Amino acid sequence: MTLTSTDETLRATEKAVYNLRIPEMCKPPRTVRMPCRCLLLFSLLCYSLKPLWAVGWDAPEQQLARKISVITGPGTISIGVVNRSSISRKDSEEITRGLQVQLGAVGVHSVNAEQAAANVQVSLSENFQSYIWVAEIHQGPSESSVVMISFPRPAGATLSSESPALTISKALLWSQDERILDVVSLDVNGNPLHLIVLTPDQLGIYRFQDGRWQQDQSLPISRAHSWPRDLRGRLILSKDHLFDIHLPGTFCQSTAVTPLSIACHDSDDPWPLGNEPVALRAFFAPRRNFFTGALVPGVGKQTIAPSFYSAAALPREKYVLWLFATTGGQIHALDGITDQTVAKSGWGSDIASVRTNCGSGWQVLATRSGDVSPDAIRAFEFPDREPVPASQPVELDGNVTALWTEPSGSTAIAVTRNSENGRYEAYRLAIACGR
Amino acid sequence: MGDMKHTAWQSLVVASLLIAASSSADTRPQYGGTLRISTRIAPATLDPATSTRSDPVTGQNLTHLIFDTLVTVDNGGKIQPALSTSWQAEAGDQRWQFWLRRDVKFHDGSPLTSDAVAASLRAVNRTWNVSPNRDSVIIELDAPTQDLPGRLALPENAIARRSPGVKIVGTGPFQISDWQPGKTLILSANEAYWNGRPFIDSIEIEMGKDFREQMIALELGKADLIEVAPEQARRTVIDGRRIVLSAPVQLMALVFAGDRQSPADGKLRQVLSLSIERTAIRNVLLQGNGDPAGGVMPNWISGYEFVFPSVSNVRRAQEIRSEVPRAPAWRLGYDLNDPLAKLIAERIALNARDAGITLQPSVSGATDVRLVRISVASADPRVMLTNVAATLGLPQPKFSGNSVEELYQAESKMLETQRLIPLFHLPLAYALRPSVRGWSQDRDGTLHLQDVWVGTEKP
Repeated sequence: MTLTSTDETLRATEKAVYNLRIPEMCKPPRTVRMPCRCLLLFSLLCYSLKPLWAVGWDAPEQQLARKISVITGPGTISIGVVNRSSISRKDSEEITRGLQVQLGAVGVHSVNAEQAAANVQVSLSENFQSYIWVAEIHQGPSESSVVMISFPRPAGATLSSESPALTISKALLWSQDERILDVVSLDVNGNPLHLIVLTPDQLGIYRFQDGRWQQDQSLPISRAHSWPRDLRGRLILSKDHLFDIHLPGTFCQSTAVTPLSIACHDSDDPWPLGNEPVALRAFFAPRRNFFTGALVPGVGKQTIAPSFYSAAALPREKYVLWLFATTGGQIHALDGITDQTVAKSGWGSDIASVRTNCGSGWQVLATRSGDVSPDAIRAFEFPDREPVPASQPVELDGNVTALWTEPSGSTAIAVTRNSENGRYEAYRLAIACGR
Repeated sequence: MGDMKHTAWQSLVVASLLIAASSSADTRPQYGGTLRISTRIAPATLDPATSTRSDPVTGQNLTHLIFDTLVTVDNGGKIQPALSTSWQAEAGDQRWQFWLRRDVKFHDGSPLTSDAVAASLRAVNRTWNVSPNRDSVIIELDAPTQDLPGRLALPENAIARRSPGVKIVGTGPFQISDWQPGKTLILSANEAYWNGRPFIDSIEIEMGKDFREQMIALELGKADLIEVAPEQARRTVIDGRRIVLSAPVQLMALVFAGDRQSPADGKLRQVLSLSIERTAIRNVLLQGNGDPAGGVMPNWISGYEFVFPSVSNVRRAQEIRSEVPRAPAWRLGYDLNDPLAKLIAERIALNARDAGITLQPSVSGATDVRLVRISVASADPRVMLTNVAATLGLPQPKFSGNSVEELYQAESKMLETQRLIPLFHLPLAYALRPSVRGWSQDRDGTLHLQDVWVGTEKP
């Protein structure tokens, strides 16, 4: 039998993904003396590992040249190249030169049209999957032939140029086709050595070893019901065992020793919203994508907020101000006594706070309003009751699907869905001050 | 430069989307609300086996709301699991086995079983030998069928439970609440949908509405989503409405009723093809929409469509015409309910007359050649070519291999029959109210209304 889809194991676990690609993972930096610089370096390293467009034309040039020579035989031709694709002008010119070299290698030489035995019109075209290079060969008034080749177009990898003025740095941690709900990076001396990736159906545990990321374990998540659309989930490190997983209507707990296993069961237990010392828990609607607004133990005396998508804590001297991005599109600020609506925040549905050494010591990271794609995240100070931009927006490659504060409290994880290739990408966002 | 590049006015479409979207502050999808849709099609049945015939793209979008297929084709042309989570073929691609997703239920609460799947597929594909096998179905075919997964992704192969005297039911994201054949359809969210409950609670579809009626409904706030005639899309954007366009997913073509009768008949067909001023028709009648077509498949699917000539050459047409002493008058049929078709048919008749051919546009009686629209149906080029051939009654294309050259050969052979003359590849256009969020559609025109949500709308 010819195996054409996923294997038996995958079938047995009701895995809803066909032909999963090997995840692209970025290597961490080797030295971490200055975290901010290293994050930038890390980011650059990650990008540098992506395939570039302007490489690898030799093989298709050779292939097309051979096909042309089969029709024309050795001799002289006039050749024209038209670029009908997204290939850059520079690459197009390079391909034209390369094609002439390859044709020469098989005895077909380019001359003026008057001296040529055949006229060859090459079109560099593409469809939605591949590059298609077509050669229309005219050897007389009525004799014409068409030869063509196709080869996969590399996944779009546009290099993002970080402005040195940005105060938010982003470092790609993980990228895959399947939706990423949350990522936890277990660092040693600032180096990510283990990565735990939460997806709708499984938990992937990876170890950085021998210069590359290798999968340690893959733990399926059992559930008794279908997930809601716009699925969300949180991965929380625990003190007495490794981690907890919060999913809508489901709670999972890991064992404490390796090899790890997880046990899941139906649960409406509240999800943690912040890290110590600003811990707060909130109930998540089991069939939806938002928190109901019920808070445990509450913000001061306030135990109910409007239903919300995300929350951010800003510790003050004598209280903690909690901001909620509500399902009604507003930002509500709860200080333990009052519930005020924040005017003109310009924020989207996802916010998270980070503790830094910059400014007031706490900033809010917020997506921008509207469903403009790609999304952007910006840092804000909240000196009084209105947000003040504290950084330039950091542009992302798609819409943000998750934004959670990391266990350290000083960085956040942002998951985006790349609008070019549809892949989910988890970034670590860190705020660098004074730059 | 091909259809990979945006035209200026398509950029305007994008801009109109951005402006509309930025008025709202919330970015994460909201559950609840009703989406009101107006459409031209007025099917008498919701059975996917037949409802997709009249207008394949709209029909398939309707089908995908209520029914699921075993697999789907994603925007990159890859086969993805749906009701089937995995599959394999025996060497030779004549016997296929598809394993089914567990714990899926039809809207009536009955479980999705291999018996039900086999019965559904047998009802549509009489020549297939489909048999249940515990948690899988086995499909045996007369000939190697490498593209079977692609075929199973077609809407007519959606899995439905058909019982005499009982309403047809599916497993899709929405279930039927009320159905007045050809008039209205009300759907409600399937709370237990295996792939996640849709965001919106319900969809109300008004059927049988022409483009003008739909626009009025949008303006009066009685519809959230309407169809827009391609030639009206530019005007609609200029009027400040929110428009979304698909890739070119419809082929407009002339189709001859019968095979070429003689070499002279073939020459006359060639004369007709050479006489048609596609670019002028596109610029004037289509208002710059769509692409002149020489091939069956648009360039975004094949990548080589430009190889097939689409430029008119009246002088050459007249030369060839002079080689045929007598030419019969042909009756050109078109759809009475398609105002654009009438204009284009009349323009083609004028072009043909300049080349010495008499075409008589007609909306009734027997015709020699028809002006038709054929939908892409699938982004899989092999499935699309096969589907076009089946729709037009042409010989099924044969593919000797997987290369692009073999695909080109198959398409060339189809065109060499001279049964059809490609004219244009047309996009689909929709107008949306600003409150419609989360819009997504595939290149082949498939809408993902289960991802749509209704947000706040500000003036």
